[in-house]
Amino acid sequence: MKLKVASKILDANERIAQDNKKAFEGAGLYVVNLMSSPGAGKTSLLENTIKGLAGKSMVGVIEGDITGTDDAVRIERLEVPVVQINTGGACHLDANMINSVLNDLPLAELDLLFIENVGNLVCPAEFKVGEDIKVMILSITEGHDKPLKYPLMFQESSALIINKIDLKPFLDVDVAKIRKDALSLNPSIKIFEVSCKTGEGIDAWIEWLIQTSNS
Amino acid sequence: MHEVSIADSLLDIAVRECRDNGFTKIGSIKVCIGKASGVMPEALLFAFDAMKAGTLADGASLIIEEIPVSGHCNACNTDFVVPEKYVLCCPHCSSESFTVNSGRELNIVELEVD
Repeated sequence: MKLKVASKILDANERIAQDNKKAFEGAGLYVVNLMSSPGAGKTSLLENTIKGLAGKSMVGVIEGDITGTDDAVRIERLEVPVVQINTGGACHLDANMINSVLNDLPLAELDLLFIENVGNLVCPAEFKVGEDIKVMILSITEGHDKPLKYPLMFQESSALIINKIDLKPFLDVDVAKIRKDALSLNPSIKIFEVSCKTGEGIDAWIEWLIQTSNS
Repeated sequence: MHEVSIADSLLDIAVRECRDNGFTKIGSIKVCIGKASGVMPEALLFAFDAMKAGTLADGASLIIEEIPVSGHCNACNTDFVVPEKYVLCCPHCSSESFTVNSGRELNIVELEVD
């Protein structure tokens, strides 16, 4: 016989994401889910951001990678609490993975938590983990065709960080097109052009982050 | 790999619904997948077939209905369907004032059970 179901396939993930969000809110914590392709500069942006927030906010980091602890080691050098999740093959973090490490961070002592997702421009956008906002990075070496090829992440993100702008003189990339297409997909997306290598543009991003997390 | 998580979740839901309603075998599972949901139907079918073994859905087929991206234009007051995964403007009048109505679905809708 036929059995009608009408259920969202990712309901279980969304329920756990809600639980995570409650735990974060209870600890007075603002949570950023940071997403990008592999190598766009997520860990470099975090390093710059943590340095810029020194003395202003207590920051913690959850690192998501398929395997390895390289990113967590980099973050640990900055003397902030960090937990590494190895997904063992999965191409994104899900709410349950985040839930399983909540006790490994001193949540009550933190103001801001960054969740560095697995490098991937597709899947992480689909899975809520309990964050307040999603932020994505696109490095200009990836090309200006990415917003229209991978629309979901641009639609889901509150901010787009365009990284590696120090390389502009060496590339044919059309940054204006990245901006235009991202804004067409998501008119409220906030765009920052930065170079994690030279530090250009980082201040404006940090100022926006502080304002957004306090509002 | 994304589709493995989706297949895992939909098998969980299907098996629970089947058992809770007193049935013991799933013949088919029908899902609606929006074109802008980020899921590849072929990859989902592959993941589903690999993961159904040993569950009540062991012999089940997965029926995927793909939902196109559609919307309604606030300027020319017409409904539209687009071939892309996104809408930048109304395909009739090019207005940028529109509402997207479908394309992000990821729903399990019906089971055939015994």
